[in-house]
Amino acid sequence: MADEFPFEISPMFEGERVRKDDMYVELAGPKSKGFELVNAVGIDEIEDGKFTLIGADISEMEEGGRYPLAMIYRIAGELVETDLEAIVERRNHDFQNYIQGMMHLNQRYDVWIRINKDAIAKGLKSFEQIAKATMMLFKNELTFIEKIEATYITDMEKVDEELAKAMDKYAARDERTRNLHDEDVDTFYGCSLCQSFAPTSVCVITPDRIALCGAINWFDGRAAAKVDPEGPQFAVEKGECLDETGGEYTGINEVAQKLSGGEYNRIKIHSFFEFPHTSCGCFEVVGFFVPEVDGIGWVDRDYAGNAPNGLAFSSMAGQTGGGKQVMGFLGVGINYFRSPKFIQADGGWDRVVWMPKHLKDKILEDIPSDIVDKVATEEDAQDITALKTFLTDKGHPIVERWSSEEEEPAEDEPITESDAFSMPQVGIPAFDPAMLKNLTPMTGGCGGVKVTLKNAKVTIDKVILSNQK
Amino acid sequence: MRVIAITGKGGTGKTAVAAMLIRSLVNRDMTILAIDADPDTNLPEALGDGVEETVGDQREFLLEERDNLPPDTDKQRLLESKIYSVLAERQGYDLLVMGRPEGAGCYCFANNMLRGIMDRVVNNYDLTIIDTGAGLEHLSRGIIRDVDELVVVTDGSRRGLQTAERIRDLVKELDLEIRKMHVVLNKVTPQNRERLNEYAQELGLEVAGIVPFDEEIAQFDLDGRPLIELPDSSPAAVEVENIIMKLGI
Repeated sequence: MADEFPFEISPMFEGERVRKDDMYVELAGPKSKGFELVNAVGIDEIEDGKFTLIGADISEMEEGGRYPLAMIYRIAGELVETDLEAIVERRNHDFQNYIQGMMHLNQRYDVWIRINKDAIAKGLKSFEQIAKATMMLFKNELTFIEKIEATYITDMEKVDEELAKAMDKYAARDERTRNLHDEDVDTFYGCSLCQSFAPTSVCVITPDRIALCGAINWFDGRAAAKVDPEGPQFAVEKGECLDETGGEYTGINEVAQKLSGGEYNRIKIHSFFEFPHTSCGCFEVVGFFVPEVDGIGWVDRDYAGNAPNGLAFSSMAGQTGGGKQVMGFLGVGINYFRSPKFIQADGGWDRVVWMPKHLKDKILEDIPSDIVDKVATEEDAQDITALKTFLTDKGHPIVERWSSEEEEPAEDEPITESDAFSMPQVGIPAFDPAMLKNLTPMTGGCGGVKVTLKNAKVTIDKVILSNQK
Repeated sequence: MRVIAITGKGGTGKTAVAAMLIRSLVNRDMTILAIDADPDTNLPEALGDGVEETVGDQREFLLEERDNLPPDTDKQRLLESKIYSVLAERQGYDLLVMGRPEGAGCYCFANNMLRGIMDRVVNNYDLTIIDTGAGLEHLSRGIIRDVDELVVVTDGSRRGLQTAERIRDLVKELDLEIRKMHVVLNKVTPQNRERLNEYAQELGLEVAGIVPFDEEIAQFDLDGRPLIELPDSSPAAVEVENIIMKLGI
C-alpha cells in the first residue's frame, strides 16, 4: 500500500532532523504560523480519504522558503468522541515523523515542519501525498477511526481565520482536562527518579495530585509512561478505593510496598497526618503541623526566613526528605494547592494557617475566598503567639476546633462570630491533635525519631511516663 | 556519529582548540554539531557567532511555565522544539549553547527529558564537538551521553597537566564510558616543549598534538577577531590539521 508514496514510512525515521542546509521548505514553526487540529464529526458528515488544499502546494513553493501551514483532520466512527480528539491529534506528530524526509516538531499551534530536499528529489510534490500517508497511518493504527478527511491550508489569511476557531476548541479542551479528577481515571502514575537518593520514596501522580517536585502532572506521567513503560515514570493501576477522602487505593498501596522495599504499605495521597505521601527531598513546599494552633503551615524553597515554628525551609526539608512518611511534615508541589482534594482528609484549606506571602500571592486566586484573608503570612505573624492572635482576630475556622476539641476553651472568644464562615465538615474524619503533639514536639527544631520494629516481640512489665522539664 | 569532548583547565585554550578544529572541519563532507557546554560561554565568540538563547534558558522556561501550560501539553515535545529553535544553523556546522547552570529546585524531570532530546540531536550529526569545563558537568549528569573521546587541552604549565591527570581520574570515578583520552599541549614554546612532553609521558597521558604558541592567535584575541578566520598558514592551524589526522577524523 505504501508503494503509492514516493517516500518510505517507518518509525525509524523519527528523530530525523532536517538541517537548514538540507531543507527544501519550512512550514509553520516559530517564524511563521500554523496549527494541527482533529475534530470529531458525525459519520455522514465526511467523505473518507478526501483531501482539500487551500493555498499553494509544495510544488508551487520556493526552495528554502517558509510558509504557514494548518492541518485539520475530521474523524468519524462509532467509537469516535470529542474526548478522543486530543489523543488522536497527538499522533499526527508521530505519523508525520515516520515519513522519510519530513520533520514534525511540537504540537497544536506550535507545530514546526520541515521537508528536506531529498524527499522532493524522490518525487514528493504535493501535500496530498503527505495527507494521504498520514490519514492511512491514522486509520491503520487507530482502528476506531472509520472515516477521516483532511484539509491543509497554506494561505496565511485563511490560516489566521481557522486558527481563531481552533483556539476556541483548544480552550474548551483545556477546560475539560483541568476538570479531570482522580475518580475519572483508572490509572495513576508513579515516578522513581528520586529513588537514587531517597530509596524508599514512593511518588504517586494523580489528576488531583502533582508530583511533589512540581514537574510532573498526571498527563506528563501518561505521556512518559507511554513512550517508555519501563522508564522512570510508569503506570499504577488504581485498584479499589479504600478511603475516598484520604485518597487510599489498593493499587497505590501495592506499589508503595514494592517501591519502598517493604518500608511502607499504605499511603493516603490526600492526607497530611495519616499514612501521608512520602517526601523525597525535591518538594517545592513543605507543610508543617503547628500543634499550638492545631493547624498546618506551609513554607516553600524560596522563603529564606523562619516559619512561625522557628524553623526554616532548609531545616524542615532536611527532616522531611529522604523518601519517608514523616509525621507532622509533608512535601508537596505548588500546584497541589490548586487541587480540589488538597489535604482533604484533614480539613483542606480550613486547616491552613500560615504561608509566606510570595507563595500565597502565587496561588491567591485558587485559595477559597472564605479563607484567603484568614491565612497568615510573615507580615501577619512570625511566631506562634502572633499567629494565634491573628487566627483569632480573623476568625479562622481552626479556632472553632480549639474550643470543640480541647478541654479548656481558647483565651479569646471567636466562637460568636464563627457561624458566618463555618464550613461543612462532612466526610472529614475526626483527628485528635493532642496525640500528635506528644509525637512530634516541634519547638526548637528537635528532630522526630521513628522507631520501626519488625517481627518483634516486646514484653514490658511497667512503663513510667513523666513530663520532661 | 562520533562525539569528542574538549576539556581542560580554564585559560589553557580549550575553546581556541575547539574553534580551530571546527574551522578545519567545516569544509569537509560531514555534518558537524558544536556544543558549548562551558557555563562561561566562549565558543560562539571564537566562531564569530552570536547566540542569544541557550538550552539552559529553555529548560528554565519550561520550569517557570509548567503550571501555566495546558495541562496535557507534551513537555518533551515542547522542550525538543525549543532546543531546536536555539540550535544555530551555520554554514557547515550547527551550534548549540548549553548556557546557564541549574538553579535551585528539582531538575530531575527536566534533565531526564533533556537527555532523550540531546541523544536525538547528537544522533543527527556525523561529528559532535563539545567544548566543556574541567568539571565535565553535562557529561557527569548524563545530559550529553555517549561521548566517545576526550581531548584534554593544557598549556605550558604544570598545573594544566595536573588538571589533565585529575580529569583522567574523574572520568574513571564517573564511570563515563570514554573510549579514549588524548592530550593536546597548547601555547607551547621551544623552551618548554621537551619538558612538557616528558611530563605528559610521566603522567601516562597520550599526546595527540603540540600546538605552538602563535603570535597571530594572541593578536586575534586582542582584536576580538574570531579564530575561525585564522589563515591556513598560521602555525597553530597547521598543527590542528595534524591533530585531526591523528584523531582519525
